[in-house]
Amino acid sequence: MELRLDGITHRYGAVTVLDGIDLAVGSGQVVCLVGPSGCGKSTLLRIIGGLEMPTGGAVHLMGEPPEGCFNPLTYVFQDFALLPWRTAADNVSLVLEDHPLSAEARSAVVADVLARTKLTDFANAWPRQLSGGMKQRVALARALAVRPAVMLMDEPLSALDSQTRELLMEDLIGLWERERFTAVYVTHNLLEAVRLGHRVVVLSRRPGRISEQMTIDTPLAERDMADPILLAKAERLWVAMRDEAAAADRELLHV
Amino acid sequence: MSEVRPVPFRGGGFRPRSIGVVGPIVFVVLISAWEAASRLGLITPLVLPAPSEAAAAFWELLETGRLWLHLSASLQRLVVGWTLGTLVGVSAGFAIGLFSLARAGLMPVVSALFPIPKIALLPLFIIWFGIGEGSKVATLFFGTFFPTVIATYAGVDGVDRTLIRMGQSFGLTWWSIVRKIVLPGALPAILSGFRISASIAIILLVAAEMIGAEFGIGAYVLLAGNLMATDQLIAGVAMLSVMGLTVGFLISRAERLLLRWRG
Amino acid sequence: MIDRLFSRRRVAHLLGAALFAAAGATATAQAAEKVTIGALRFTSSAPLFVAFERGYFADEGLDAEFSFFQAAQPVAVAIASGDVDFGVTALTGGFFNLASKGALKVIGGHFHEEKGYDGSAILVSNKAYEAGFTSVDKFPGHSLGMTQVGSSFHYMAGRIAEAKGFPLSDITLLPLQKVGAIIAALKSGQVDSMIIVPHIARPLDRGGAAKIIGWVYDYAPYQVTTLFTSTNNTESKPELVKRFVKAYQRGIADYRAVMLNQAKDPAATEEMTKLIHKYVYADRPYEKAAPSIKAGAIYVNENARLDVGDVKAQLEWFQAQGFVPGGFDYRAIVDTSFVEAYNLPK
Ligand SMILES: Nc1ncnc2c1ncn2[C@@H]1O[C@H](COP(=O)(O)OP(=O)(O)O)[C@@H](O)[C@H]1O
Ligand SMILES: [Mg+2]
Repeated sequence: MELRLDGITHRYGAVTVLDGIDLAVGSGQVVCLVGPSGCGKSTLLRIIGGLEMPTGGAVHLMGEPPEGCFNPLTYVFQDFALLPWRTAADNVSLVLEDHPLSAEARSAVVADVLARTKLTDFANAWPRQLSGGMKQRVALARALAVRPAVMLMDEPLSALDSQTRELLMEDLIGLWERERFTAVYVTHNLLEAVRLGHRVVVLSRRPGRISEQMTIDTPLAERDMADPILLAKAERLWVAMRDEAAAADRELLHV
Repeated sequence: MSEVRPVPFRGGGFRPRSIGVVGPIVFVVLISAWEAASRLGLITPLVLPAPSEAAAAFWELLETGRLWLHLSASLQRLVVGWTLGTLVGVSAGFAIGLFSLARAGLMPVVSALFPIPKIALLPLFIIWFGIGEGSKVATLFFGTFFPTVIATYAGVDGVDRTLIRMGQSFGLTWWSIVRKIVLPGALPAILSGFRISASIAIILLVAAEMIGAEFGIGAYVLLAGNLMATDQLIAGVAMLSVMGLTVGFLISRAERLLLRWRG
Repeated sequence: MIDRLFSRRRVAHLLGAALFAAAGATATAQAAEKVTIGALRFTSSAPLFVAFERGYFADEGLDAEFSFFQAAQPVAVAIASGDVDFGVTALTGGFFNLASKGALKVIGGHFHEEKGYDGSAILVSNKAYEAGFTSVDKFPGHSLGMTQVGSSFHYMAGRIAEAKGFPLSDITLLPLQKVGAIIAALKSGQVDSMIIVPHIARPLDRGGAAKIIGWVYDYAPYQVTTLFTSTNNTESKPELVKRFVKAYQRGIADYRAVMLNQAKDPAATEEMTKLIHKYVYADRPYEKAAPSIKAGAIYVNENARLDVGDVKAQLEWFQAQGFVPGGFDYRAIVDTSFVEAYNLPK
């Protein structure tokens, strides 16, 4: 499915957070959204996911959702958002329980997505027993269970240490290779952006506007962080953002 | 430069552990000392009866079979009053936690009525609910209702909003979100509310049984006080204390069962 | 009431500091001796107020001081613990139990139910009255609201049952703790009857809220309240007790002369009512308080005479009911060396 944003503007009281964002995300494309902290990335993602009403503009979803899709726009949260009172398997099961699915079909789906995220052995573990990387895998399994057409990921790897992050990036690429979902991926990590994005969109500091876009043609599976081309792209993004980031950092929070 | 010294340890402390046997030992020592002081005449019977006298009073209750009459009367009132207060209180707490209109309408009422000592309303309770079981159950009901409401809505307020947003982002129904996210999220607070409301119910038992009660631990304690039968008074108070400990134990068990996920 | 047991003085006793008591006893001689009177702000305590206001205690070289209580039982507890020296209260199960521990002595009589004088009335709810509960004979099968199990109301019910020849268990006794609660239950028809002092009973009857169907004195002329003090006082300071009783008797004499025959000398009645009003219903204006005070004048034994036979009968009743342990009789709790004792058991 494709996603189109037309002139998205958003204000919190007198503060304009987003100002006229136009963006199109093609089917099966991963768009990475980067920008200084507080520029409105999460807000934009919430608007795309229908969790927040924009002050102006509209988001459109085009095309038919894939066969068996329960939740076309599916969110992955930075802090995992797992229910601590449900085991890994039950957290996945949660999002299927409101759909007309037999108990066997449901457990089959749960088993399948847990296998795909390498969690089969941890199906009955409580979230508190899992490491950060494992928790995010459970969250990914949960997202996959509803066969999403579009994945909305808000800094899904930011809460993890760098080694775990590396492993999960590989997993994410593997999953994308299989499912070919459309994705908007918010990150503040430029290396992550050039590793995972077909396209990287840079937002300016508040009010957030698109200040730069960059396409990366290397297929995701072939990307290697030793590749000088990727490193150069990351460097270019940093140059484009650096002054904005510094200014954003000095900004007083008036909220 | 040349001197080699080990770094002194500065951490530790501020971490009280519970040591299983100490509690019972303290009880045994206290009661033995009390018994000894009574026997030696250091504590006159006017001031405090010996523990053995209180035990004898308890034994008499047991032998005559009246213990069961008192206990069953009180337990029945406790169970009915507490259950009603809890059911209505949890429902009202959820309403306040979930709906703006309920919050605006009920909160001021709850805040205004909570601090009223229910004993002060006893004469009115007699007229409203009668001198039978009605006014007794009502006293326990009002005593447990308010703390339950407050614990419940505080628990609902405290549920992590990201979890609710997560539920919404997956298209869960409102009812599913309430049942599977809000309720379990508020459960720890609700259970600690139960602990408080159950203790309040036991405290109020004496007040509830002031009104025309023939049987009941509270009535027994009241009568002992009126007759200055201090041995029975101590026996009755000890029974109330044991009831409190039992309820506390049951709630701990419930917590361990329902909140296994907390580890 | 329990915390009063742990008062300073009680703890001093506890620690075996008998020294204190000894020192107190020797320091009597010249200076006016201090006595504390435990009193309730009831019209029935009036003779004490009269004796105090007219300086009868001072005449006896006593520096009397009132300590006011909300209920009768704590007065007894305070006297047992030594915080208060003298008090007047009804004989109840609680009183007998306290006295059984040896700390209290009944030394004189006070309110006595006496034919011809206002005493406790038997009130019936309108509902029960209309349903036929119109006389004391109809008591069986009805309920009686009372303050507490083992209270004087309980005893009166027992005596009425005895006089009428039916077992007390034929009446459903409902302890409701507070007089206010009993009245509420009576008015709303949830209890059928109650027994209460005349100045509460009469207005309820007159106002149509309940019906008086009888008077306790018709069934049980008895010694309702008594004057008592600590055993410590009767044994170590009998002189002081004698002086106190003398002043108290003068108070009673004045009170009886005026209040038991109010029509005889309206001016004196007015004056004494004003005196009592300083202590009773002081929060109401005099015009409002006066009728209640006048109506609340109850019969007080002349010279504080003590109906010993009735004290014995009461103790035995409470013992028979199981409210008071056996193993002692009235002699252990009565000291007849201060007032005239009558109706002596043979
Ligand atoms: N609910 C809200 N109410 C008011 N201000 C908000 C709210 N959510 C976010 N903001 C403000 O909007 C701006 C953008 O926030 P956010 O989208 O979280 O930024 P980012 O994810 O890019 O760091 C920030 O200044 C933040 O303080
Ligand atoms: Mg963010």
